[in-house]
Amino acid sequence: MTDDQWLHDQLQHLARLQPKFTDRAFWLALDRLVAEQDQRREQLQGEIDGRTWRPDRW
Amino acid sequence: MTTLVLVAHPHLADSTSQQFFKASLPATGVTWEHLDAQPAFDIAAEQDQLRQADRIIFQFPLYWYAAPASLKAWEDTVLTRTFVYGDHRYPLAGKELGIVVTTGMPAKAFQRGGVEGQTLDALLAPLAAVAHRARMTWLPTLAVHQFGYLTEAQKLALVVDYQRYLTQPQPDTLANRQAWFADRLASMVQGLTPEQRATGELIATTFDDHRSSLDELTDTLAMIKETEDD
Repeated sequence: MTDDQWLHDQLQHLARLQPKFTDRAFWLALDRLVAEQDQRREQLQGEIDGRTWRPDRW
Repeated sequence: MTTLVLVAHPHLADSTSQQFFKASLPATGVTWEHLDAQPAFDIAAEQDQLRQADRIIFQFPLYWYAAPASLKAWEDTVLTRTFVYGDHRYPLAGKELGIVVTTGMPAKAFQRGGVEGQTLDALLAPLAAVAHRARMTWLPTLAVHQFGYLTEAQKLALVVDYQRYLTQPQPDTLANRQAWFADRLASMVQGLTPEQRATGELIATTFDDHRSSLDELTDTLAMIKETEDD
């Protein structure tokens, strides 16, 4: 299991255990934010790879 | 940061959306006032509350393309010319003004060609003009359309979107969102049961790692771009 999947599962599980609506909301929102972090990380990594891959400068 | 929420609603107890917002209020840093519940506005006290706040929120349902009458009554009574700009002191300058508005029509209705034919930004122009005159910063509006049709998952998402609208530094960037959650994570972990706390701590650590790795990638990319500019 990837690190991202583990974190997602833990956050969903923790949210389910919260009796308070607002607490449940917090952990679920954090899960969405983590997904956003993952997406941004992939995009940044992709852009770095793209900009570093410059055959014209080899 | 201190936030003042002024709610204009003639039948607050009957409003599920307003009761939902009230139940979603952050535990600290927010003062909440129901304008319609005031028999008469205490001008000095109201102005003092405004002076204390960093962010001021007008919260109301949209009635005939405007706020309910209590907000206008409050404006006309409390926002005296001398207070807002007359003595050239501008006590509200630099404060943020945000609008939380609920509508019975869907988001798509509020655009040219839509059923309402007007954007919310256009309809809220009189309030934006007040903010401008008072030298306040106008925040992008938080509009909640057809609250009654929201799913449980959408309502859960709205809890945190609303809390962030009240207390998160603007603009609403990923960096500011991360900082808002990071500020609350330790106390949320503390609030977990002892059996859940270890998981909470691991989540907090992993979240911090993700945040740092994003920062590093952003720095690396900035460096690459800088060299390309040469």
